[in-house]
Amino acid sequence: MSDANTPDTPKGDDARDQLVELAEQFYDQFERGDVPKMSLPTRSKSNIEYDEDSDVWVYGDRTSTRSANSVRGARKLLKSVYTIDFLAQQLDEDRSSTLRELYYLSESWDEEEAQFNDQSESDKLVEDLEIVSGVKREDFHMRPEESGAKVMGPLRIREQTNRGDREIHCQDDVGQGGYQIPNNPDTIEFMDCDADFVMCVETGGMRDRLVENGFDDEYDCLVVHLGGQPARATRRLIKRLHDELGLPITVFTDGDPWSYRIFGSVSYGSIKSAHLSKYLATPEAQFVGIRPQDIVDYDLPTDPLGDSDVNALESELEDPRFQSDFWKEQIELQLDIDKKAEQQALASRGLDFVTDTYLPERLDEMGVL
Amino acid sequence: MTSFQSTLGEEEGIAEELAASQREISIAEFFEKNKHMLGFDSGARGLVTAVKEAVDNALDATEEAGILPDIYVEIKEGRDYYTLVVEDNGPGITKEQIPKIFGKLLYGSRFHAREQSRGQQGIGISAAVLYSQLTSGKPVRIESRTQDSGVSNYYELIIDTDTNEPEISVEEELSAAESDLRGTHGTRIEMDLEANMRARGQLHDYVKHTAVVNPHARIELQEPKGEIKAERAEGAGLPEETEEIRPHPHGVELGTLIKMLGDTDSHSVSGFLQSEFTRVGKKTADGIVDAFRDRHYGRELRWRPPGIDAETDLEAAVVDAVSNKGADDTAAFAERVVDAVEDAERVAYSEVEAIVADAATESEESSGTTFGDTVQEHVVDAVWAALTEDRAADIFLAVDAATTVQKDDATVRGLAERIADKFGSDTPRDRVTRAKLAEFVYRAAEMTEEVEDATVGDTARENVVEELWTDMATVPDDLPKTKDVAGDRDTASELLDAMASVDVMAPPTSCLSPIKDDLVEAGLRKEFDAEFYSAATRDAEVHGGDPFIVEAGIAYGGELEDQGGVDLMRFANRVPLVYQRGACATTNVVKDIGWRNYNLDQPGGSGLPQGPAVIMVHVASTNVPFTSESKDAVASVEEIEDEIELAVREAARDLKSFLNKRQSMRKRQQKQNVIMDILPTMAEKVSDMTGNEALDVEDSLARIMNNVLVEREIDDGEVTLRVENHGNTAADVDVTDIVTAEPADASDGNVVEMDGEWFVKWSPSVSGGDTAELTYSVPDDAEFDLSVQGVEDARLTVN
Repeated sequence: MSDANTPDTPKGDDARDQLVELAEQFYDQFERGDVPKMSLPTRSKSNIEYDEDSDVWVYGDRTSTRSANSVRGARKLLKSVYTIDFLAQQLDEDRSSTLRELYYLSESWDEEEAQFNDQSESDKLVEDLEIVSGVKREDFHMRPEESGAKVMGPLRIREQTNRGDREIHCQDDVGQGGYQIPNNPDTIEFMDCDADFVMCVETGGMRDRLVENGFDDEYDCLVVHLGGQPARATRRLIKRLHDELGLPITVFTDGDPWSYRIFGSVSYGSIKSAHLSKYLATPEAQFVGIRPQDIVDYDLPTDPLGDSDVNALESELEDPRFQSDFWKEQIELQLDIDKKAEQQALASRGLDFVTDTYLPERLDEMGVL
Repeated sequence: MTSFQSTLGEEEGIAEELAASQREISIAEFFEKNKHMLGFDSGARGLVTAVKEAVDNALDATEEAGILPDIYVEIKEGRDYYTLVVEDNGPGITKEQIPKIFGKLLYGSRFHAREQSRGQQGIGISAAVLYSQLTSGKPVRIESRTQDSGVSNYYELIIDTDTNEPEISVEEELSAAESDLRGTHGTRIEMDLEANMRARGQLHDYVKHTAVVNPHARIELQEPKGEIKAERAEGAGLPEETEEIRPHPHGVELGTLIKMLGDTDSHSVSGFLQSEFTRVGKKTADGIVDAFRDRHYGRELRWRPPGIDAETDLEAAVVDAVSNKGADDTAAFAERVVDAVEDAERVAYSEVEAIVADAATESEESSGTTFGDTVQEHVVDAVWAALTEDRAADIFLAVDAATTVQKDDATVRGLAERIADKFGSDTPRDRVTRAKLAEFVYRAAEMTEEVEDATVGDTARENVVEELWTDMATVPDDLPKTKDVAGDRDTASELLDAMASVDVMAPPTSCLSPIKDDLVEAGLRKEFDAEFYSAATRDAEVHGGDPFIVEAGIAYGGELEDQGGVDLMRFANRVPLVYQRGACATTNVVKDIGWRNYNLDQPGGSGLPQGPAVIMVHVASTNVPFTSESKDAVASVEEIEDEIELAVREAARDLKSFLNKRQSMRKRQQKQNVIMDILPTMAEKVSDMTGNEALDVEDSLARIMNNVLVEREIDDGEVTLRVENHGNTAADVDVTDIVTAEPADASDGNVVEMDGEWFVKWSPSVSGGDTAELTYSVPDDAEFDLSVQGVEDARLTVN
């Protein structure tokens, strides 16, 4: 089920060994009388670089060291050690838990200094551990709280569940809501597929419009709901649909800077999880719209750009992931017209405009249809 | 110069003036009318003032006798009155001294002295006596025993308010058994007075502050509801003796100067200056005298002789002026005159006179022909006429040199001509004072601006005046004698002006006796139980001819209470200033300092800083300027304020580094506490997970804290003390190991046995990042007690 493009990461016992190895590093540092420390790639925009082999953006060479030299660093390391211990135990017992549960669980730790202040702290720490151990969060048996997104379209899959394997057809066997992507999409096996391409849609409203209008049926399309910034499971599934089934991936979002970032994370990988870009990002994904050019061409109803929109656009102009001519042109145009538009703005030309005119024309133009 | 100065330490103090003008009324009435000025305006304040005067008096008496003061103050509450007892361990007083000390209200040997002293008015103790007598009607009791005397003398006296003389009503000898004196010698004064203790706070402040600023004194206060016992600071000796100095030329006022001129034995102004003033020698006196001459007579303008191409033939003019002398002799005389004039390039009238007189003498010597006074006068007139023919041309040169190149020629020429026009018959000998010259230049400039439509600004005018004045000749006229100057207020004023215009070396500081920074600190240390002390003594500076020294001290933290604003103690000549804090220059200066820079809180960035601190400021001077006669507040004098600020800032700098260090040590301690908590837990966790044996985190901890880590290792009777310095700077530590058995083979260490225990001591210097090993051997059953000194506790880890 794994594809050649996807690098292997340790799983099961290997994952546990990686954690123990981290603990051993700390042990050795103590034993030598050194200041315990942990090195991580710097997780910022300035430290991601393009990996030519895999066409995705990954962390560069810059690292930050977290050491017990400062109170802050010492606390972080203590929390790391507690978390490592917890994860190793979880793997031993073959249990799983959610990120939120980890946060609450820390409250039960005897050492107060090891407890997390908020969930973002524990989430980030788990990501840190992914990076230093090379083990994916899913293989620590850590799940995100929110459920993955939904898929609708001509695809039959087999999913391993706690209650045995289930075979599901993502049109025939599901309701109007579609098939729910599990937290670890690597438990899915693709059976057969009649789809010609994948359409990832940012908003629930637009997804429902496409489904209601029968777009998936008419064009043999897999409609994947991103639901804002897509969860890892969603991105992983998209990558697998592309890599394993050879489906073209298209992304349809609002026409504002935040939506471009959604496309960016599907296509190039996110800054936060650049260590997993090779596993999550689909560089071949194509951007459908809404493009600033569409705002002009279709004279869409718009909102003016706010200050934060302008800042975000300007920051994207400097973002290494948006350095193509296409993006520079579109972003500069948007700054120029000072407007943004939602996907639903297409409804100003009728409810069917998007499925009858906009998407077919655009997909044709892009060579997908 | 501040006007109140003349009221202090000078000849005409207000009190004396008032007393003089009120001779016909009784001294009692005078006191009654003026008691607010003397600090006796209320019962509460009267008591504080009486204590203050008596204590100052006692301190002076003992110090003058070279005895370290031991002052006892007691206040007893009677049925109708309070009784004040002040006792010193001074030399005692004789009966003959009594009228002097307790008699005349204004008696005081220091009244005119230019020397730092506590009381400058000599009004002190007698005012307290008078206050006592007026309020209680009881006589003052005095007991005194001189050194090595077996008996003491006891007097009761009142001041006769008509004659202003003390009247002794009781006089007896007391044997040692009958004596109330606490010591073997000294004076005890006991007086009843109407008073109350509402000013208890001020009274306590006064005594405590006096103790701070007189670290060499023991002072004890007993009052109905409290006591203060201030001990002498260890090693504090008597203040250095001060020397009286003569007045400084920059420190006198006109009235004083006129009086001095009238009293002096010198006839010449120069002699007067040199004999009556400090820091005036021949050279300075000459400078002042020249400046005086300039102000009194003015200077003479110098003119260029006519040039070769000029129409006037100077020599012919001289010859013409001479009549009835031989032609050859006349020619030779004329040549001498003209040569001398031309050699001089520019000459003034008096210089022409001198040249002509010289030429006449020379001619007479060589030829025997006499050129008498009349002839000389004619010649001088002739030469002068030639010289002053074209004044404008000469003035043009000066104006041109003094003004900027941008001034156009017409303006310069116009200005020069107008200035030149001012000279003539109205200015005989072309002699003017600088003020007159300036007037001419300004008037000419105004006119030039009007006529030429040009600008001649103030700077340009000043430059022209300066250029002309500098080139003018000082006149040779004799100066008036001192008696004449004394008799003419204007002339005296010119002299005063001249004295102020000349730079004179600062007055000597032997007349001052600062406490010195180490004793300021000692004084604070013994009176305040604080965590930090600093003090600063500035170098002497001068204000109006009076030298002064400012000292400041700060005590911080410890047992000091944080009552919002810090406690500010003000002192003048070792006397605490208790009242009128808000009016005092000291307070204002301290308020204006940005204390946040020194790590003290200061809401709003101005005002008294906050925190558990005491700030003291001492101004010592031959003449401290006060805002009023009651001497409660130092007047705002720029020079003194500047020095106060510098002294306080100097002391505050040390406070800042102390607070910084304390803050960083505190942070360090907090960090260490947290890390000490975290590291062992972390180590335990990783040992558990890896299944390895338990870890020791001390090394890691020491490294994190840049600490000095001292560890003991014992291997078969061989003890190794490892001193690891994980910091960046060298650590000089004293390591002492107390061992219960006799050690051997100690490396470089000292071994001392005491009561069955052995002290093994090393003093290694370990540079940053290094480790020193100290070794010795002991029998197996020995016990150890290790102590390490030389490193702050927060930076030290001892295992």
